[in-house]
Amino acid sequence: MTNHWIDIRNADCVLIIGSNAAENHPICMKYVLQAQAKGAKVIHVDPRYSRTSARADMFIRIRTGTDIAFMGGMIYWILEDMRKNPGNYNLQYVQQYTNAAYIINSGIKLPGDEGQNGLFSVWDSTNSKYDTATWKYADPANATGESKLLTDNWSGWTSRAADEETAWGELNNNCVLKLLWRNYRRYDKATVSKITGIPQEKLEAVYAEYAKTGATGQAGTIMYAMGATQHTYAVQNIRAYSIVQLLLGNMGVAGGGVNALRGTSNVQGSTDQALLEHILPGYLKMTTDVDAHQTLAGYISNITPAATNPPGDLAGDNPVNWWKNTPKYVHSLLKAWWPDVALADSYNYLPKKRATGVNYTHMGLIEAIGKGGPDGVEGLWIWGQNPAAGGPTSLGARDALKKLKWMVASDIWFNETHTFWKRPDVDPSTIDTEVFLLPAAGSFEKEGSVSNSGRWVQWRYKAVEPPGEAIPDLDMMIQLFKRIRKLYDDEVKAGKTSVIPEPILNLSWDYSDEEEADVIAREMNGHALTADVPKSGAPGTFYEVGELIDWFNDLQPDGKTSSGNWLHCGQYTKASAADQQDYAELITVVNGIPSINKAKKRNVVDSSPSQVGLYPNWSWCWPRNRRIIYNRAAVDLNGNPWDAEHPVLAWNGTAWVGDVVDGGGNPINLAAAGSQNLPFIMNSEGVGKLWGYSLKDGPIPEVYEPWESPISNLMTAQQNDPAAYIGKLLVDGTDWNERGTVGDFPIIATTYRCTEHWQTGIMTRNLPWLAELMPKMYVELGADLADKLGIVSGDTVKVRSKRGEIHALAIVTKRFQAITVDGKEMHQVGIPWHWGYAGRVKGDSGNILTPSVGDANTCIPESKSFLCKVEKA
Amino acid sequence: MKEMIEPKAKFPWGTLILSALAFLCAGVLVQRYVFGLGAMTNMSDGRGWGLWISFDLYCGVALAAGGFTLAAIVHIFHMEKYHPVVRPAILTAFLGYLLVVLALLVDLGQPWYIWRMIFNPNIHSPLYEVGWCVMLYTAVLALELSPAVFERLHWRIPLKIIGFIQIPLIIAGIVISTGHQNSLGSMLLIMTHSIDPLWYTPIIPALFFVSAMAVGPAMVVFEGTLSGAVFGHKISREVFTGLGRITSGILVVYLIMRLADLAVAGQLDMLFNRYPQNIYWWIEVGGGVILPIILFNIPKVQQSSKGMFIAAVLYIVLGLSLNRFIMSSIWLVIRPGYTYFPSWQEFAVSIGLVAWALMMFQIAVRLLPITKHHDEGESKSEHSAPEAAAAS
Amino acid sequence: MAYGVLFDGTRCIGCRACSVACKSWNENSAKVEKKTSVEGGIQGKAVVSSDTFTFMRYREIGEGDDFKWAFAKIQCMHCLKPGCETACIVGALHRNKETGAVTYDQGKCIGCRYCMVACPFGIPTYQWEDRTPWIRKCTFCSDRLNEAENGMAPACVTACPTRALQFGERDELIEEAHKRIEESKAADPAGVGKYIDHVYGEKEVGGTAWMYISSVDMTELDLPWLSEEPVTKNARTAMSLLPYYATGMLALMVGIYFITKRRQKIAAGKHEEKKG
Ligand SMILES: Nc1nc2c(c(=O)[nH]1)N[C@H]1C(S)=C(S)[C@@H](COP(=O)(O)OP(=O)(O)OC[C@H]3O[C@@H](n4cnc5c(=O)[nH]c(N)nc54)[C@H](O)[C@@H]3O)O[C@H]1N2
Ligand SMILES: Nc1nc2c(c(=O)[nH]1)N[C@H]1C(S)=C(S)[C@@H](COP(=O)(O)OP(=O)(O)OC[C@H]3O[C@@H](n4cnc5c(=O)[nH]c(N)nc54)[C@H](O)[C@@H]3O)O[C@H]1N2
Ligand code: SF4
Ligand code: SF4
Ligand code: SF4
Ligand code: SF4
Ligand code: SF4
Ligand SMILES: [Mo]
Repeated sequence: MTNHWIDIRNADCVLIIGSNAAENHPICMKYVLQAQAKGAKVIHVDPRYSRTSARADMFIRIRTGTDIAFMGGMIYWILEDMRKNPGNYNLQYVQQYTNAAYIINSGIKLPGDEGQNGLFSVWDSTNSKYDTATWKYADPANATGESKLLTDNWSGWTSRAADEETAWGELNNNCVLKLLWRNYRRYDKATVSKITGIPQEKLEAVYAEYAKTGATGQAGTIMYAMGATQHTYAVQNIRAYSIVQLLLGNMGVAGGGVNALRGTSNVQGSTDQALLEHILPGYLKMTTDVDAHQTLAGYISNITPAATNPPGDLAGDNPVNWWKNTPKYVHSLLKAWWPDVALADSYNYLPKKRATGVNYTHMGLIEAIGKGGPDGVEGLWIWGQNPAAGGPTSLGARDALKKLKWMVASDIWFNETHTFWKRPDVDPSTIDTEVFLLPAAGSFEKEGSVSNSGRWVQWRYKAVEPPGEAIPDLDMMIQLFKRIRKLYDDEVKAGKTSVIPEPILNLSWDYSDEEEADVIAREMNGHALTADVPKSGAPGTFYEVGELIDWFNDLQPDGKTSSGNWLHCGQYTKASAADQQDYAELITVVNGIPSINKAKKRNVVDSSPSQVGLYPNWSWCWPRNRRIIYNRAAVDLNGNPWDAEHPVLAWNGTAWVGDVVDGGGNPINLAAAGSQNLPFIMNSEGVGKLWGYSLKDGPIPEVYEPWESPISNLMTAQQNDPAAYIGKLLVDGTDWNERGTVGDFPIIATTYRCTEHWQTGIMTRNLPWLAELMPKMYVELGADLADKLGIVSGDTVKVRSKRGEIHALAIVTKRFQAITVDGKEMHQVGIPWHWGYAGRVKGDSGNILTPSVGDANTCIPESKSFLCKVEKA
Repeated sequence: MKEMIEPKAKFPWGTLILSALAFLCAGVLVQRYVFGLGAMTNMSDGRGWGLWISFDLYCGVALAAGGFTLAAIVHIFHMEKYHPVVRPAILTAFLGYLLVVLALLVDLGQPWYIWRMIFNPNIHSPLYEVGWCVMLYTAVLALELSPAVFERLHWRIPLKIIGFIQIPLIIAGIVISTGHQNSLGSMLLIMTHSIDPLWYTPIIPALFFVSAMAVGPAMVVFEGTLSGAVFGHKISREVFTGLGRITSGILVVYLIMRLADLAVAGQLDMLFNRYPQNIYWWIEVGGGVILPIILFNIPKVQQSSKGMFIAAVLYIVLGLSLNRFIMSSIWLVIRPGYTYFPSWQEFAVSIGLVAWALMMFQIAVRLLPITKHHDEGESKSEHSAPEAAAAS
Repeated sequence: MAYGVLFDGTRCIGCRACSVACKSWNENSAKVEKKTSVEGGIQGKAVVSSDTFTFMRYREIGEGDDFKWAFAKIQCMHCLKPGCETACIVGALHRNKETGAVTYDQGKCIGCRYCMVACPFGIPTYQWEDRTPWIRKCTFCSDRLNEAENGMAPACVTACPTRALQFGERDELIEEAHKRIEESKAADPAGVGKYIDHVYGEKEVGGTAWMYISSVDMTELDLPWLSEEPVTKNARTAMSLLPYYATGMLALMVGIYFITKRRQKIAAGKHEEKKG
């Protein structure tokens, strides 16, 4: 989330797309409904009517996987409306805070251009990837701009009111705004309607409604989750939202933003801490085996972006380019891990993953397990996960597990993965995998922080003792590493040299065996290692050695500070006098200095002057307790909020009041040359990117079909996202990831969750009160389809895809209805995936049906769109 | 008539069947107390009251109304010609009430706590009234019946005492029993929206009272005919005809009340357009009230035991029992998602209890001066004594 | 003065947190039924039972653009004039005037189940499977309300994430309900607003502590259509007439006895005369 949960209440329009907020994030509906009570319209775009739709003012039924068409249509609608009715939009915002006017490389070709056949320039078919050179700014160091768009309210664009071709013809062919128009003019309502199945009048209504938030002072929020992300073009879905939000001036403002309703309670924390294969803690890029990463210096210069200075009128504005601080963060991280080792050496301790040829994501991992043997993966530590039911193509994934020599699992239950060797229809004697289960303490049985979608790091205390031998995962991890280190130590002492012991022996790991969460929080924050670290909060003074660092800008390159995760730098600091007074019970003495872990704060007073629900003293959030990211975009060049009623931030003549300002410094118009800070400080150009250049599958979103789709792409000849990941789940020569055709599998399927269950269901099917609410695996289908198939509600039905078959209870409902796609009537059905063969109540997993194909950028499986067949069992 | 009197066979099939039913019932009762109500009834949260309440309580109490009606007719209204049928009527009533009490002990979830009723009065509860009245009235009936026992045992003093208090006892019995016939109706008054509007009315208690009065003579006709057939004793045609007249007289009042009630509520149209409930209404009132009124007044029918019997049965089964069933079960809303049809065990209990009662009736008739009593009805000593006592 | 709870259907997300919270607070067990309900287009509990005091009812109402998926939380309504209370033979069900909670005292109950049929909302349930069964129903969490000044709201209300359930003084809730309806009308250019202009439970059967407002008529959610008259009225009238009835009947019978007795004597005399 760029914003946070409570902030949703400030919205004037809430667009929930690809999320079932009411069922999966029930608490947030409190704020959605608060907004609605104040007059905000709530729009829900989803293939089926859900408990979220029940609260929406407008429900738009969409074919799964066609969000880009829908959003592209919206972009086109907005561009045209903006041209014709500029008064309805915040043109200053678009001009000053986005790259609308920037000129892109002249070689750029769009998917709809002559001969492109649905691809951007330039597709490298041998390596199956884009050469992205043409996507970049014409002049990467100093952007050039379409001057007409850089004039006051685009007054230079004189033929703006003329007919479409003439008007747009006036703009530079390669300026971003024009490129958007050039691409999305193909997304007229008739075409979008044909693709998405949404009637044109509904499109008009929803576009017009949401575009109202483009007016200065109006805010619209986009809430999305897995309905948007589980596609082969997932990231492009989100890009489409970002483009709309930038065009409408909705980024940075209260009640705006692109808001990912994150998944598990601490999934935000898990990504912040880099439980992902492509990053190190704090979103630092992962080290790979490319030449540039062979040395620390090379790595740093490779991953630290150079700033792009803005063009035209904006010239002189400072892009800030926050990532220029990368060296501080990398060095501090290395110092947190290996404090006593020289940076250049400890850098070498970092593993370097292969840049090409290996897929380290979930599907790649399961494939490697399926491969077995020394080339594959032989042993699996599985820490609170259930791939036998949660990952795609479950039958294949389960089969693959038998190739493991061993599996060690830390969990609070026996789930489908731990019991894969005795699953139904399998002879345990044919499986040699040795499985160990380490009983873990559940979330209420241990202390630590949980980061919510709004990036709030909230401290939790142990409520009850864990049962039996269960211990917190952290304790397990600490003890485990101690024993591993001992093994290494023993080997070194015994004179063995076959391994590289240093990374392990030198790792900073002097924890006690239990309850060290608070200590880890300090390490994540970081402290001064030398006495010459200047304190920006009190110029002229220095940190004591061992003193916690106040904020990440005080982190130092060259090993003078440590910080396990720069994002958390500022969470655990020396307590101010005010803190010592107000939060006396939270004060901990660290290295002799009274310090405070701000994640423990629980002040229910919204002390921010703006009263927009920032609650700055309830927990702490990264970065720097800034509750709304890019909040600088919430004010105009003089520091006055666009929306005076909901000011996130305002310049009072001498200082900023409200949220913690992004980037610091005075408002642009009142700042000295060189510190006229632009709002989007994490982008190297300092402005919002309508046009991007860092994704693998295109600078802007383009319509492709899901891997299994009922139709041919109506937009271009390119059926699928060219860069999508197509899995090959080979186990003993069988590829489980087979692709079905619409002839055999005529029904569109999507998978999703329900309020009553959690994920693979192991945590809820085991809880009697929840199990009794929804004991049975079910499939939801429309009354119209059910009639055709002779199915009545309560029947048991069979659902088949090319990858497997499940039995389920049929829920026949009016909430699913046929849609008309390209003139043909089509049906969609909905399948939850909360069941499996372990636990108190059992059933088939929806993932038996899903394909192993993934997003071009993140490789998230496409579990939201595939084909199936439904029959009465 | 003849063929009904003729015993079918020498072998006591009847007794055998009754005993079989009685023992089946006993077996089921064991199941009920060991495993609980849920294990053997089809009652559920959807329908907390089942066959036992409709049949054993609602019909049982109403059908036992013969006791008070006949007692009133003979002892209060002094219509002496009905004297011969008083004792069988009281015996029937007593057994009927015993059956009701037993059935309630089966139906109550925790019958062993029945005493709580005494210490936790809820004077607003019609059921509280019914409960007390059933207890008291059963006791009164026992007392009313006791002379038969004393006579048999030739216990003069108790007989004297009973004789002395007979009239107050009978009056108390009438007040108590009519009171709870009323209150059985009042119990349904709470189900304002649950009972179908064709039947729900604030005057349910009055309707219950009147219909119960009517059932007394009808029951005597019914039982008299049957016991005549079984035991071979005869009741005079005049008595039957008279009872028929009394019944039909009360039924006319009853019918007028039913129709007037609907008319006043402006709901007469429901008789024709509230389908399918109106079908039940017509069966109940058409077949069970109007038809008996007509039959009881047709001279030809009056002359025929069979005819009288049929008229009485029509009222008992359709006019009264169906009415009670409709209100306490058939057209009482059931909670959504539920259905109710009694389990075989529920039937077994209801039927078994009737079997027990019949067997007891048989025994009582054999052992006690119940029917003989009216044969000797003219013998002054036996009923003039109490009369004299009361008069003095 | 008594408490109430207002359910606002336009705020409910049907999440069933209330149902689970109720089970948790009341330590009610769970039972997986052989045949789960698919009523209203969702799988789940669709009835109250001895270990389920409340459940969410779902209904799919209307077609096309008028289609609505509507929700209602079903539990004891805590009537101001409870049918169950009047019905109960032993006074085991009782409305507490202070809190408005209609609660059950198993120390009095004999298991007649009259309360079950007497309740216009079909709420009291029975432990059918038990050898020593008791009546069970929502308690209004009176064990929470009662905690003196430190009183808590009912568990279900506390759990509700969207404040679809609001706890408070009943009078104030009625005001609040009408305010929401009126404000919604005022905000709607067509003057209709998102609510049906009816506070279900404000007047039904003489008023209930739990009340509903919604965008659909509550009878579409199978809440019974009920008049304003308390269900207890007729029964209570009948019961209050009983002493008069008894006295009257007594007098009547005694009177008739003596009159007919005299007549009989006269008739007997005549008979004698004739004979003689
Ligand atoms: N109760 C409960 N809450 C949860 C979870 C849970 O398992 N149970 N899981 C948590 C986790 S880890 C996550 S990631 C989140 C996920 O939260 P959500 O993303 O809300 O979860 P889903 O139910 O998978 O999918 C959301 C919606 O996407 C719709 N959808 C499917 N395909 C498309 C499409 O192509 N376009 C659009 N616009 N919509 C589509 C589905 O119909 C569904 O309503 O929930 C979290 N919260
Ligand atoms: N078809 C389909 N598939 C999907 C999705 C979908 O929408 N559709 N969504 C995907 C998404 S978004 C997600 S996040 C994944 C989730 O997939 P998984 O993470 O595999 O599923 P969970 O059921 O959450 O498994 C979590 C495990 O952690 C255990 N656990 C819980 N608490 C603790 C603890 O404190 N310590 C330890 N050690 N273990 C614990 C639980 O018992 C359980 O076994 O599924 C994905 N799969
Ligand atoms: S499950 Fe937990 S995290 Fe999710 S909405 Fe409910 S309270 Fe919040
Ligand atoms: S709803 Fe039923 S159980 Fe609850 S108080 Fe009213 S009558 Fe009694
Ligand atoms: S079952 Fe218990 S609580 Fe209900 S009416 Fe009978 S005695 Fe009262
Ligand atoms: S008030 Fe208490 S007992 Fe009643 S439904 Fe709510 S939680 Fe359950
Ligand atoms: S907890 Fe609240 S929102 Fe959820 S179902 Fe219950 S009443 Fe509705
Ligand atoms: Mo997730």
